[in-house]
Amino acid sequence: MRLFRLNPVTRRRWSRFRNLRRGYWSALLLGTLIALSLVAELLINNRALIVHYQGHWYFPTYADVIPGTAFGLDYAYETDYKALRQQFAARNDGNWVLMPPIPYSPFETDLRADQFPPLPPSLADRHLLGTDTTGRDVLARLTYGFRTAIGFSLLLLVFEYCVGVGIGCLMGFWGGGFDLGFQRIIEVWSNIPTLYVIMIVASIVPPSFWTLLLIMVAFSWTGMTWYMRTATYKEKARDYVMAARAIGAGGGRIVLRHILPNTVSTIVTFIPFSIAAGITALSALDYLGFGLPPPTPSWGELLKQGTDNLESLWIVSSVVVAMTLVLTLVTFIGEAIREAFDPKVHIHYE
Amino acid sequence: MNKLHWRIFGFIVWLAALPVFAQSATPQLPANLHWQTNDADPIFADPAAKRGGRFRTFMSSFPPTLRLVGPDANSGFVTYLRENNLSLVNMHPNTLNPIPELATHWAFDPDGKTVYFKLDPDARWSDGVPITADDYLFTLEFMRSKYIVAPWYNNYYTEIITDVVKYDDHTIAVRESSAKPPNELLFDVAISPTPRHFHKLDDNWVENYNWRVEPNTGPYQIGDIRKGKYVEFKRKADWWGNDRKYFKYRFNPDYIRIKVIRDLNIAYNYFSKGELDSFPLVMPRLWYQKAQGTPYERGYIGKIKFYNDVPQPVLGMFLNEDDPILADRNLRYGLAYAMNFDKVLKTVLRGDYERKQTQNEGYGDYTNRDIRARPFDLQKADEYLRKAGWTERGPDGIRVKNGQRLSLRVSYTSDDHTARLVVLKEEARKAGIELTLQLLDATAGYKQVMEKKHQIAWMSWQGGGIAPTYWEFYHSVNAHKPQTNNITNTDNKAMDDKIIAYRDATDKESRVRLAHELEQMVYEDGAYIPSYKIPYTREGFWRWLRLPPQHATRMSDVVFDPMGSTGGLLWIDEEEKSRVQKARITGESFAPINIVDERWRVKP
Repeated sequence: MRLFRLNPVTRRRWSRFRNLRRGYWSALLLGTLIALSLVAELLINNRALIVHYQGHWYFPTYADVIPGTAFGLDYAYETDYKALRQQFAARNDGNWVLMPPIPYSPFETDLRADQFPPLPPSLADRHLLGTDTTGRDVLARLTYGFRTAIGFSLLLLVFEYCVGVGIGCLMGFWGGGFDLGFQRIIEVWSNIPTLYVIMIVASIVPPSFWTLLLIMVAFSWTGMTWYMRTATYKEKARDYVMAARAIGAGGGRIVLRHILPNTVSTIVTFIPFSIAAGITALSALDYLGFGLPPPTPSWGELLKQGTDNLESLWIVSSVVVAMTLVLTLVTFIGEAIREAFDPKVHIHYE
Repeated sequence: MNKLHWRIFGFIVWLAALPVFAQSATPQLPANLHWQTNDADPIFADPAAKRGGRFRTFMSSFPPTLRLVGPDANSGFVTYLRENNLSLVNMHPNTLNPIPELATHWAFDPDGKTVYFKLDPDARWSDGVPITADDYLFTLEFMRSKYIVAPWYNNYYTEIITDVVKYDDHTIAVRESSAKPPNELLFDVAISPTPRHFHKLDDNWVENYNWRVEPNTGPYQIGDIRKGKYVEFKRKADWWGNDRKYFKYRFNPDYIRIKVIRDLNIAYNYFSKGELDSFPLVMPRLWYQKAQGTPYERGYIGKIKFYNDVPQPVLGMFLNEDDPILADRNLRYGLAYAMNFDKVLKTVLRGDYERKQTQNEGYGDYTNRDIRARPFDLQKADEYLRKAGWTERGPDGIRVKNGQRLSLRVSYTSDDHTARLVVLKEEARKAGIELTLQLLDATAGYKQVMEKKHQIAWMSWQGGGIAPTYWEFYHSVNAHKPQTNNITNTDNKAMDDKIIAYRDATDKESRVRLAHELEQMVYEDGAYIPSYKIPYTREGFWRWLRLPPQHATRMSDVVFDPMGSTGGLLWIDEEEKSRVQKARITGESFAPINIVDERWRVKP
């Protein structure tokens, strides 16, 4: 598709983006963070990476639950690999366990008889950012929460833009009664306060990831329509559309092959800010207790715990720093994209 | 006031099934009545108490109305109003004997349903009007009126309290629909009067009386209101009860200001700055983490842990027996053995709460102390789950039967409980049970449970009364249909018979025996998994608050309670207050106060 082929304009934009160092490095850093969060199970997990037991190799990370009996333990539930590692080390008979750098899962409660959660950060316990009020590792919750948040906002973005761009484009392209009708619908629709609707819905049916996403999409697609409608109106009046029509191109072809690719700069510049908005919205909902059901790791829930337990400063500071960092990165990227796609930059033809 | 809703609902359901007894009003007082009173029990206030000062506390939202009944009346604030709306008699909070309140004497009719009362002739409404028998007759008329829009009261005063008879201005009889042992009957029929001269019942009553201050009978009356900010009660200067034995030396502050502070953490900050006089610290998080530091070390703020002996709220997991998975008794047993409450208590709750052993505790003789809750025991859990047919484990370690995973939904309504449930969830995995946690908002949770759409309800019912009740929770009449309190849908013929026998028994001995047997049946049914109980209250208080040597009473839910049948014991030491205020500037220290009072502790 032409949309994704690197034409000279796109190439120029890309090189301009690369030259905006701040935005470019932010994009690289965020990309790395996302990539790392996708393989978080290998870095932060209570399941071992590798177990070598009596000549057999086990890789429990992505596998089925291995009961303790498989390693000669006396229980049928999932193996406690941390304990197993110590046992093997103590016996020193050639068996060994390799644990991830942070040996805690985001759901695992690390509770001790003599200490009460939240525990402060400790290198010895490998709780680099301490634990939360239930004794779960803050870094693990933060990482998996980041994955949830970024995944949520990316999916939100895709659905939202599909609907918003589609309807906005048609409004601009068809115009007339369709445009007028939808304008009124959108005006009414966008005046419904989304957060309140979600709270009301959440109080009746507890939301899951997908229902929450659906509700959010249902109320946030309107934002894009106005920009797309205007952009389409503008493009529709251009000569190349007239030319396409003159050689007999149909409506669908004109919209998809001609108008959409030419409005892509409008769409792209909004993307980073939509992502930031998605993350904030989900965190806000979780903070208020109307978001994803517990014990899903989430930033909003951590933030809530942090503000409720200000004397355990490590909780609130971790999540605030993480959130500020990610939102700043996204904003830097957004600024750079906006600049790179700015049509008002002068180009000299030689 | 979520708990209160549950409780009231229970009553509604209970009442609905009671037959209406015919009224028979005879204005002739029976001869040979044996009038009783009680001035022999010791007082529980301190004669050293000093009057004066302003006690400052908080509430989390401004009351939606100042009415005692009707729409929105059942908010947290209504407690303050009820505490100043005295009854005919009350319970001595230490001896549990009846003590006079608005009536000086009482006598029982041989029918076991009627109690006669001699009213205190000195009792006055807050506007000076004497309280007479007519005000009690009016209570019946008022509470039965459709204009007050209060179906629960309509029902209670029709089907439980069936009649009030006036013999003269200061003698009445109150009749209940069914016979009961005297100690239970007396407190049931101890109704409150309603000021006839104040109310005008019509279609607009609910709106007209929303913000009007109703004359009351207790020591305090609302003096000042700023909507959305605070409500202030003022001590009545010449309260009629000032010199009554059990009221003397009590209700000492001149003003009680209840400030609206919507967030608990912010409220705590107010307290630590000395803007509130006392603060509840029952939650481990508050007691151990927040209530620490300079003001405590320097003795400006004291801490008290006071063990009481009151009916415990019924906290725990209620399993819906109509659910296809939970219908199996063996599975219910297995589930109970898979719940690691011990770990929750030792870690998240810091060993502060105690395991609840059975549904009804804190009812004195009625409590069956032989029952022990099923402990966390993976072997037993495995045994019972196998008996129920859940023998295999799936790839994720959760048991499967015929392709169905052993996944159960726990519905709950308080975010503060998430940490506790998360531990249970993680531990239950070991037994191959998956618990999914469903945090609902209070109204939605209530609705789900009342429609019996839950699998496991994590909730509490407020305890109360003298003896436990079983009919609304376990009689099959209330099973398999919405809006009843039999939320486990227990349907057991043998239990039904025993419940009816328990309800019909009139002597204490057989009621105690039946209560014990019923409690055992509840245990055997396994639809209720007891969680924990809190046999004490913990509070923080500024040094200038003073208490009697015995601190509080056996029945005290709150130590620093300025009013109510167990409250009003504290007083404010103004000299100490100025000393402490000065010391806060100079940094001077006092001896730290850490009180642990175990005189009413029930040994487990």
